Amino acid sequence: MSKLNRKYPFNAFVTLSVCALVLAACAAPAQPAAPTQPSATEAPAPAQPTEAPAQPAADSGVVVVTAGGKIRIGGSFALTGPIPDPGKDIRQGAEIAIDDANAAGGVNGFLLELVAEDGACSGDQGTVVGNKFAADPTIVAVTGGTCSGETFGLKPILQRARIPFVSPSATNPAITSEDCDVCNRVALSDALQGQVDAEFVYNELGFRKVAVMHDSSDYGKGVAEIFRDAFVKLGGEVVAFEGAKVGDTDFRAPLTKIGVSQPELIFFGGYATEAALIAQQMREVAGLEKTKFMGTDGAYTQQYLDTAGSAAEGTFMSYVAGDTQADKLSAFKEKYIAKFGIEPEKLGPFHAQSYDSVLLIVEAIKKVAKTDSAGNLLIEREALIKAIRETSGLAGITGTLTCNPIGECGAGGVQVFTVENGAFKQVYGFGLR
Amino acid sequence: MAVASQEHAWRAQRRSEQALGLLARVIGLLIVAAILARAVSVSLNENYPLTFWVSQLVNGLVLGGVYALVALGYTLVYGILLMINFAHGEVMMVGGVAGFFGLQIARSLGWLDGGAAALGLLFALLAGMGVAALTGVTLERVAYRPLRGAPRLVPLISAIGASLFLQYSVLLIFGVRPMVYQRPALIADGLRAGPVFVPYTGLIIFVTSLLLMGMLVAIVQYTRLGRAMRAVATDKEAAALMGVDVNQIIALTFLLGSALAGAAGVMLGFHNSVIKFNSGFIPGLKAFTAAVLGGIGNIPGAMVGALVLGVAESIGPSALGIPAEYRDIIAFSVLVLVLIFRPAGLLGEVVVEKRA
Repeated sequence: MSKLNRKYPFNAFVTLSVCALVLAACAAPAQPAAPTQPSATEAPAPAQPTEAPAQPAADSGVVVVTAGGKIRIGGSFALTGPIPDPGKDIRQGAEIAIDDANAAGGVNGFLLELVAEDGACSGDQGTVVGNKFAADPTIVAVTGGTCSGETFGLKPILQRARIPFVSPSATNPAITSEDCDVCNRVALSDALQGQVDAEFVYNELGFRKVAVMHDSSDYGKGVAEIFRDAFVKLGGEVVAFEGAKVGDTDFRAPLTKIGVSQPELIFFGGYATEAALIAQQMREVAGLEKTKFMGTDGAYTQQYLDTAGSAAEGTFMSYVAGDTQADKLSAFKEKYIAKFGIEPEKLGPFHAQSYDSVLLIVEAIKKVAKTDSAGNLLIEREALIKAIRETSGLAGITGTLTCNPIGECGAGGVQVFTVENGAFKQVYGFGLR
Repeated sequence: MAVASQEHAWRAQRRSEQALGLLARVIGLLIVAAILARAVSVSLNENYPLTFWVSQLVNGLVLGGVYALVALGYTLVYGILLMINFAHGEVMMVGGVAGFFGLQIARSLGWLDGGAAALGLLFALLAGMGVAALTGVTLERVAYRPLRGAPRLVPLISAIGASLFLQYSVLLIFGVRPMVYQRPALIADGLRAGPVFVPYTGLIIFVTSLLLMGMLVAIVQYTRLGRAMRAVATDKEAAALMGVDVNQIIALTFLLGSALAGAAGVMLGFHNSVIKFNSGFIPGLKAFTAAVLGGIGNIPGAMVGALVLGVAESIGPSALGIPAEYRDIIAFSVLVLVLIFRPAGLLGEVVVEKRA
């Protein structure tokens, strides 16, 4: 046996093993994406006969809810992935909204139902969830996704399937766009958050030299870039722009690199765990002893405080707040605590936006739903897409919701908090008294 | 006539093999030279102070220490069974989870206060090592032993299954929320030498991994158990004929390797604060890379490979002037390059195909 031949089997074996492992690992969390079947939900096609003889002649552009059935609203929530608690909070907020709508009689006597799926805060899983909804002709509209990456996964699929969605918490500016008539959101865009954060750091804190980090997610990198550009435009200096990955736990190498230029503040675009670990580990790094830390709405959670512990003290966090209606919020919280036994703030910040996303969808359904002679409820897809976009002056928990021409429906502004004695305290921005 | 032409063909093949080998070496050296040139030019441009490189070296050695503890398990199992236990990273994660609960117990018993804190930490470490060892031995019994005579890809697939099983068991039992290790005051700080900071957790990782590796080498080289392990590694059938209980030795190998991985899990928890269900996946792959880099089946090789990989990962992005989020690419590029140009690894253990 030659020398080469002795080596090759091991070589090939290892290569094969690694390939197999990587494939298995990638396939595991995201189930194989179901190919989008040209189902009844695809773009308006010449009338297709439906199987059920009891139904009226329905074409693919109309959702028919037979008498006694429920109106099904899909939900893409980040139940696993980097921010499971906020994802759960958003799902529970949506459930309260569905309960309220049903208690008020539903739509023309038809009750609503939430079809919750795990979008896992990732683009891959968002695609899987999107395909699932697109293949299900009973899904009327979708609330979600929770994260920006996840919502970018949903966007093209739901656009093709003509299913409108309203995201309670995806903040990347490109979630809504002129060419997407099904894309809407209640959360405010990061175009605003990054700008306000930069103004806060430059004007309020008076810092001129900062470093920017992100977690390479659509959300984190997006807001980090907006902050960087806004800060430079104000006249400040960004000495480093370093990336990490969602799920990383050791940030000492990039922090050491940043420490060389001794910035006054590190701005991080990303989620809670990574933000907490950076806040903790930066205290070990030379050159960062006096450096402040600032995170964004993805990290504005109890989980951040729990993980960072004492390292959280004195750090800053921004949040895209709604124009909260105190009386409505307290009524909502009462129901939430009664149903789930936990205060929503312990899980995440976007429960009220989630309630309003569902409210917006339900009110639009009310406007377009018709009952036919056989007692079926008919919801025309194109009409619903228009109705959601035309929402105006709707009183929600997060303020008066009015959708602009590209689907930005939220009210409110950006708030900045600091951590004091293990709790967030607002120091700047919208609604500060 | 036939013999002569056969010999002629054999020689031609031999010559072309030699030429290929030489070519591979030249290309390999060229790649290394290009990387070095890039590193030198970047570091001259960036003008980092010396303490920066020292700090990054410290970061890398600590990272390498963790990889080493896990890599030793890969190498031990490969040395004896010629299989890659891809669930090994998950065994580390299970150890980390067990260590978290050990720490909680120690805290509730008041073992973390003042001088007794060392006891509490030891308890957490032992809890992690114990549970990981148990997991490893159970895995071997349930997932690998029934497949011992099967083609080698079969236990490999079984290992991937075991890996997913462990990940999602932990996910379903303990949830997705990361478990947060709160460092007791005893190890919260670190050594400060000018601007270079060495956290105690990092120091503990490095020293413990050296100690445990030393113990492992001693066990393998100088004890009856070690002799039996080497005998099984050389030839299972012959070892069995000489009265070695092969099943028992293999189980003990898994026990040793998994206990080390458990220790790595607990120490990683203390160092990086969080452990969750998928915390073992990437470190597991990196440790595997380290084991291959050092020469899989070779114990000091695993250690050397791990330290080299850790340092390459932490210094690499700065030295090569590439964004830090690409550091995983450095690790896996190393794996690919080693497999192409030096399949036997840095320490050059010749891997003999025993099953061929």
